[in-house]
Amino acid sequence: MGDLETRLMRRARRAYEVGRFSAAARRSVLLLPVIGLALISRTNLAGTLVGGAGLLALVTFCLWRGQDYRRGVRPGLVAGFVPLILPILAQAGGQPCTSGRCLLLPAVCGLGGLVGGIALGLMAPRPRDGQAIPFVTACLIAGFAGSVGCLLYGLVGLGVMILGLLLGASPVLAVRRA
Amino acid sequence: MDRATLSELQRLMERLADGDRAAFHPVFAVLWPLLRRFAARHLRPEEAEETAQETLVKIFLRAGEFDASRSALAWALGIAAFEIRTVRRRRLRRREESPREGELEGIPGAGPTPEEEAMARDMERMLQEALGALRPEDAETLRLYARGRRPAVAAATFRKRIERAMARLRGIWRTTDGRP
Repeated sequence: MGDLETRLMRRARRAYEVGRFSAAARRSVLLLPVIGLALISRTNLAGTLVGGAGLLALVTFCLWRGQDYRRGVRPGLVAGFVPLILPILAQAGGQPCTSGRCLLLPAVCGLGGLVGGIALGLMAPRPRDGQAIPFVTACLIAGFAGSVGCLLYGLVGLGVMILGLLLGASPVLAVRRA
Repeated sequence: MDRATLSELQRLMERLADGDRAAFHPVFAVLWPLLRRFAARHLRPEEAEETAQETLVKIFLRAGEFDASRSALAWALGIAAFEIRTVRRRRLRRREESPREGELEGIPGAGPTPEEEAMARDMERMLQEALGALRPEDAETLRLYARGRRPAVAAATFRKRIERAMARLRGIWRTTDGRP
């Protein structure tokens, strides 16, 4: 292969990666309004920012990387949507609580996690033949998405959400495996 | 391109769209000579190579969004055709139609290249469209003028009609050519 073709191949490869990244970023940006909703609540801004940034970065990476990573994105986002949105709606409904002093809103996180876990169990690609990447990706994305809503109530909310995800997903996965 | 290569290209493009980087080199190896040949058929040599390169880069830029339900070959050639049209339109606007000094010297029987013939056909089509957009009396005036004939009117009257028809044709041509 000549010099020209080597240079052209390098240009083409760069264009391919840039194209994939741009497409991934364009799709991840659609998450910003929901993250913005959580930020508007002004409770635990730092935690919500970290969760939101983590979610954006993870989704962008998985879409850019493609293949098995991409296959976990949709199930993860669908599963994580419920624990993300429920606390925001509860907060908007005028139930001012801070973490550790109110049981209602962490319970909302638990419920959201449970529903999200069931959805995760149903939709996430089953880990099979050592190919666990789609499942792991889906779980991570669901966790990050749920954290954007549940970190409004601090680590208690986050912990209860994760517990809910596990409790919801495990039996469903066990049934699917059987 | 034979059927086996066509199927292989389709399969490779689908893998590339999915994010399989291992498909990059085989896709490059199939597309690069194809695009060079395609561009060389429609453009001058000095333009064809660069256009083929730009087309290849654009194809890879959009490869992540390739829709597997489409034909990979048609998709790639569609992008190439768009680039070729852009180059030709750019050249038309710059009016780079006359050969450079000495370009035809020493070439026995040098006549219009296939690319120049295609351009001339494009120009004729655009002219026909512009004439078609004229009022019938203007179009008739110009047709008679082109054939060296004159209707049964005074010479001065006919000259005036030609001037008005040409002015209207120029106006339509500028609009067709994309200029205000």
